[in-house]
Amino acid sequence: MTRQAKTKQASKKQKPQLIHWRLYVVVGFVFAMFSSLVGRAAYIQIIEPDKLRHESDMRTLRTTSREVQRGLITDRNGDMLAVSVPVRAVWADPKQVNDNNGFTDMRRWQALADVLHEPVEDVLDKVRSNPTKRFTYLKRQVTPAVADYITQLKLPGVFLKSESRRYYPGGEITAQLIGITNIDDVGIEGVENAYNSWLTGTPSKQKVRKSRDGHVVERLDIVQEGESPNDLVLSIDQRIQQLAYRELKRTTEMNQATSGSIVVLDIHTGEVLAMVNTPSYNPNSRDNLQTFRMRNRAMTDTFEPGSTIKPFVVAAALEAGTVKSTDVIPTSPGWMRLGGRQVRDASNYGDMTLARILAKSSNVGISKLALSIPVQQLLGTYQSMGLGSFSGINLTGESAGLIQDRHRWSDFERATLSFGYGLTATTLQLARMYATLGNGGTLYPVSILKLKKPPEGERVISQEVAHDVLQMMVGVTEKGGTGTLAHIDGYPVAGKSGTSRKAVAGGYGDDYVALFAGVAPVNNPKLAVVVVVNEPKGDLYYGGSVAGPAFAKVMSGALQMLNVEPISDKEQVQLAGIAGRTE
Amino acid sequence: MSKPSLNLPRIVLNDLWQHKWILLLALLVLSNAVAVVYTSHVSRKLTTQWDQLLQERDRLDIEWRNLLLEEQSQTEHSRITRIASKDLNMSRPLPSEEVVVKVP
Repeated sequence: MTRQAKTKQASKKQKPQLIHWRLYVVVGFVFAMFSSLVGRAAYIQIIEPDKLRHESDMRTLRTTSREVQRGLITDRNGDMLAVSVPVRAVWADPKQVNDNNGFTDMRRWQALADVLHEPVEDVLDKVRSNPTKRFTYLKRQVTPAVADYITQLKLPGVFLKSESRRYYPGGEITAQLIGITNIDDVGIEGVENAYNSWLTGTPSKQKVRKSRDGHVVERLDIVQEGESPNDLVLSIDQRIQQLAYRELKRTTEMNQATSGSIVVLDIHTGEVLAMVNTPSYNPNSRDNLQTFRMRNRAMTDTFEPGSTIKPFVVAAALEAGTVKSTDVIPTSPGWMRLGGRQVRDASNYGDMTLARILAKSSNVGISKLALSIPVQQLLGTYQSMGLGSFSGINLTGESAGLIQDRHRWSDFERATLSFGYGLTATTLQLARMYATLGNGGTLYPVSILKLKKPPEGERVISQEVAHDVLQMMVGVTEKGGTGTLAHIDGYPVAGKSGTSRKAVAGGYGDDYVALFAGVAPVNNPKLAVVVVVNEPKGDLYYGGSVAGPAFAKVMSGALQMLNVEPISDKEQVQLAGIAGRTE
Repeated sequence: MSKPSLNLPRIVLNDLWQHKWILLLALLVLSNAVAVVYTSHVSRKLTTQWDQLLQERDRLDIEWRNLLLEEQSQTEHSRITRIASKDLNMSRPLPSEEVVVKVP
């Protein structure tokens, strides 16, 4: 009945009725949709966010690295001696080239080979020979312009990589001293080798987030802390270095010598102002590099110093007190017999003052001085002035020279020690000895780096003795001395020539080492210069005539460059008077 | 149901006024959110600029190195000496010819 009534009523009123199940379905559906969306969002954001984060990072996170260039090497005035410039290396991924049909357009490969200056077959061969390989260098150290061109060729599987190339503006002038780096930017010779870790930096790597257009929008953590490279300031004065090299090269060529070295030292600090060697090489082009040219002979090669050692014998004798600076030594008849061997002079000089012994380089006179003091004392003086030990320059390959250490010496051996045989020294050591004499008897360690303050020196001979010996040596370059060609107008020189025969197996051969060493200006010494010419083949072989002119050119030029005031004629006369009084 | 003074906007305003602190906080939250977006945008732009400046610095460093090399080859001492003596007819005075002028 009710059903009937209801239907009747419904049909009568036609009132719209809520169909509840439909509503529930729709509401339920909407709710389900919404909750699934919320659920999904919650799932993504709260329960498992890592996957999408990872996906995002894959698209935006990048590791950038900042390449650093090897440190600069400059001379004491800031002239560049070694500069690194970024270049690119061209490399290929042979697998990728083969997989991407890289050989379809041969014109591009031809263009690549042309720009690399290599036959196209060679380039293709590197890529084709092993198709599963993933890396091969095509060419290293190409210039940025070439690199741009290669990028535009758009060869599949051919890429560029940054690296750096070292240029040496000094070229052959500083070649042995600065040394070179290998292709991987590691120093293998000279200063580059000794200070490799100081000069080398490491690239810093940082994680960054990049936007779609490639801009960095966020900097994240640092993957690798980079280390910036340090620059190096050498004690070298490139002007003097260049002058010394020019003169040495000329001397070596004129005398057809095998090799030669010049060292210029600042006597008050022990800094090396110039250190040059011949034969040299061009460190910027290493196609036909000969290793004998790469040796820094000034510190690696030893020789018997010959007569250049004589001033130190005088110093040792004065120090020991066995002679006074005013003494006269008889050398007549110009030779003397010592245990069956003979020591002789060029001629009979008669009675000689100490200054004249040095000026004439009398072997007899100097032997008498040497025999007046115990041999250990003579050797001790040599050693205290740096013979037989490292100079402190701290470069690889330095030789310490040789002083024999034994108890029994014959008289003849003691005499030969006094004119520079039976012991060996390097050019650098000899320069250091002269510097010690020049600065009043203080031995400084040699430095190749520019010093901020003068180093701690060690007094090895007394100031008076050093001063007296310097005055005696003035006569060497004056008229009648053995080194007149080393005379400089304006700068009085205290120098000594030397000529020593080169030892060969079983005795002494026919080759010579010609030397000239000295300090100037005598009134206020600044520089010590040593010139060594090895095996001159010309008519001349005496140290005074072979090495003397080069010494004069280098010394006068260097003193001028350093603005040392030349001495006037009047003062020169006065100085000669002082020198005369010691005679 | 006869209340003609019932003014809906007024009620709404009244209601809002009653919850004014909540409203203020809501506004603060909103503006804060916008500010966060804005500052992160600015910081990204600055980071980009910074990075570009770093790149510019690297580029200038490379240019400087190349210019150094050029300067060095132009001012090479033997080249200067050659130009001075050949082209300009200059010569270095001997030490004995030098006149020293002392600045008092």
